[in-house]
Amino acid sequence: MAGAAHPEAMAPPKKGATRTAPPRMPGSWWGAPRIRTYLLFGATGIIYLLAGTVVLRLVWALGNGPDAWDYALGSLSHPLYLIFHALTFVSLIFVGVRAFGTMMPKMQPRNGPFPPLPAAAVRGLIYSVWALLTLLLSLVLSGKIF
Amino acid sequence: MKSLLLKLEPIIWLLFGAGLSIGTMLLTGFVLIVGLAMPMGLVDAGALDYTRAYSLGSSLLGRLVLLGLIALPLWKGAHHLRSLSIDFRGGDRDGIVGGLLYAVAVCSVIGIVAVIRL
Repeated sequence: MAGAAHPEAMAPPKKGATRTAPPRMPGSWWGAPRIRTYLLFGATGIIYLLAGTVVLRLVWALGNGPDAWDYALGSLSHPLYLIFHALTFVSLIFVGVRAFGTMMPKMQPRNGPFPPLPAAAVRGLIYSVWALLTLLLSLVLSGKIF
Repeated sequence: MKSLLLKLEPIIWLLFGAGLSIGTMLLTGFVLIVGLAMPMGLVDAGALDYTRAYSLGSSLLGRLVLLGLIALPLWKGAHHLRSLSIDFRGGDRDGIVGGLLYAVAVCSVIGIVAVIRL
């Protein structure tokens, strides 16, 4: 029976540079469905940034008097504004569903005095607040209440 | 700039989180009525004539809501775009890009002025 081989028996005579390649991101990394959703979530930032400036413009016009207000409000009928607001609305729903429905139920403290709530309960609670606030604001702005 | 951004990180994250949650909740109803339903004629534009809009907007609660509608989306937008820039290999230019984006968000100070002058 042969004896145990020397541990270095198969080693090359000279130590060479490692052949392990450094990690590299594939060129199509952004095309993976999970990453694409994540990037879209980040890209809603530009919509929010623009939406904030639109509200700023309206509030500034409100402070400038009736003529400026009527002009600013009337300008929202322009097709570009309508397309932008439709895109904003889609972005808001996307951000809301991702943040309130997926992320926030997982963000509960695990070491606190109370046990974490079931994800469905957190989701239901936040969705209810969102729906109620949207309904309230819609009724106020459309002149149905107050 | 990078070290300043690191020091301000807790405040930035607070404003980003508020923009993501409260900003989204406030903007949904606003965009639905003022941005879509009213211009498309689904809601009577008279509901927001100057007198009523001014009376709603100049109340204490109205001013707070308007400030939230201006400032919170700006901060959410700025932080998310910075994060997107980092994702696209923007780590090296993060100091400049982040600084510029937050400078835009600091324009929410104009929002405070706009709300105060109502």
